[in-house]
Amino acid sequence: MKALLMDQKDNVAVVLQKLETGKAVDIILGRDVVDSVTPTMEISFGHKIATRDIKAADPVMKYGEVIGRATQSIPRGAHVHVHNVISIRGTAAQK
Amino acid sequence: MTKKNQKQFLGFRRADGSFGVRNHVAVISVMDNANPVARHICDRVQQAVPVCATFGRGPLGPDIEVHRRTMIGLGTNPNVYAAIVCCLEPKTANAIAEGIAKSGKPVETCVIQRDGGTIGATEKGIRLASRFAVEASMMQRSPCDLGELILGLECGGSDATSGIAGNTVTGIVSDRVVEAGGTTILSEPAEILGAEHILSRRAVNDEVAQRLVKIVKWVEEYARSLGQDLIGSNPAPDNIAGGLTTIEEKSLGALKKAGSSPLQEVIDYSARPTKKGFVFMDGPAPAVENMTGLAASGVHMIMFYTGQGNHSGNPIVPVIKSCGNPNTLKIMPENFDLDLSAVILGEMDLPGAGDIAMERLLQVASGRLTASEVLRQGEIAVSRYALCT
Repeated sequence: MKALLMDQKDNVAVVLQKLETGKAVDIILGRDVVDSVTPTMEISFGHKIATRDIKAADPVMKYGEVIGRATQSIPRGAHVHVHNVISIRGTAAQK
Repeated sequence: MTKKNQKQFLGFRRADGSFGVRNHVAVISVMDNANPVARHICDRVQQAVPVCATFGRGPLGPDIEVHRRTMIGLGTNPNVYAAIVCCLEPKTANAIAEGIAKSGKPVETCVIQRDGGTIGATEKGIRLASRFAVEASMMQRSPCDLGELILGLECGGSDATSGIAGNTVTGIVSDRVVEAGGTTILSEPAEILGAEHILSRRAVNDEVAQRLVKIVKWVEEYARSLGQDLIGSNPAPDNIAGGLTTIEEKSLGALKKAGSSPLQEVIDYSARPTKKGFVFMDGPAPAVENMTGLAASGVHMIMFYTGQGNHSGNPIVPVIKSCGNPNTLKIMPENFDLDLSAVILGEMDLPGAGDIAMERLLQVASGRLTASEVLRQGEIAVSRYALCT
């Protein structure tokens, strides 16, 4: 199982296959495996897994940039998406 | 055969020092009313490609300049060996032909009202096009440097794979072309809305940064004036289902096509860049319309990632279609030039995918045909800002 870390500053990785709870996933940055994370829930293809503990109101980093803010604390291995992230710029996902 | 880190390919040298990756006899209809004449000429002549205008008769306001600049730009594109300008009346035909002739290319006109109506103009065009086709066939390719390349960056029919694999690979290619001294052009301000502040930080000076922010703001307000809330409706429900959480994330995914090079310039739709390196072109997002602007601005070819499947091409410039979605590749394999599904399946890393994309780019530049050329899916659409009266 693999997930892509797009930048070393990121705290989320993009999942390449559907992840099952408890089955560890390799985190790939460029050509290297840089970490191994155990998902704490099912995460779909194309969705994000937290590669570090993210505190409530912390920035969510992807591509080395802030893509939103955590609305609650997100532990390492959890699914990161519209239920626990708010856009700083937009409003659609919050409806 | 291409070698790793190869930075040369074979192109056709032009009188003005530029080179083309193709050697087209372009039969350009400058107004919708002459499109059938251009198509009929190309039906009869090997190597002739029809470039058929949308609208073009009686433009008003900004469209006068946009249409003129786009048609001249298409004729001036370095992939064109010679141009035949088809038109209803002589005034516009001559104006466009004169604009194209400045590049040193052979240019002729077929004017319906002057050259014997539909039949006479078509016959004249067939004679001219066949002469040009034979001349073009005498040209040989010679070595060109990657640093002379101008590459358009495009995506369309995006899905979850676009931000993971596709656009990132396009971005790797963009950075390598810029590093070699070449120019890459990204477009579609609507698609970077939400991340424009991030791109503006890469601008080489404040003027460029402000211009970028201004054109993105314009498209947001323009959409709003027509009842479309671009920020409020992005990510769309299917984006969210695919894993995109915020508009910043979606737009950053689109922006990945531009790699990490500094932003040198912001240009108008179909205008020529004046700087080398990574450049941003204003213009609407729909692919045919956007690629028309890129072709008119002088790109040699376009790198185009599509997840869900986009089959369109451009009559003047080859469009390299890449896809990483295994499902799409299964449904329409003949529409693609580059299979990136190994990245999605975890079997290839991104730098490795960048290598094979660069290899394909050099092959296409040296003559390998793309799917949209082989299947003749090239089409143009010229951006329009006002109605005619």
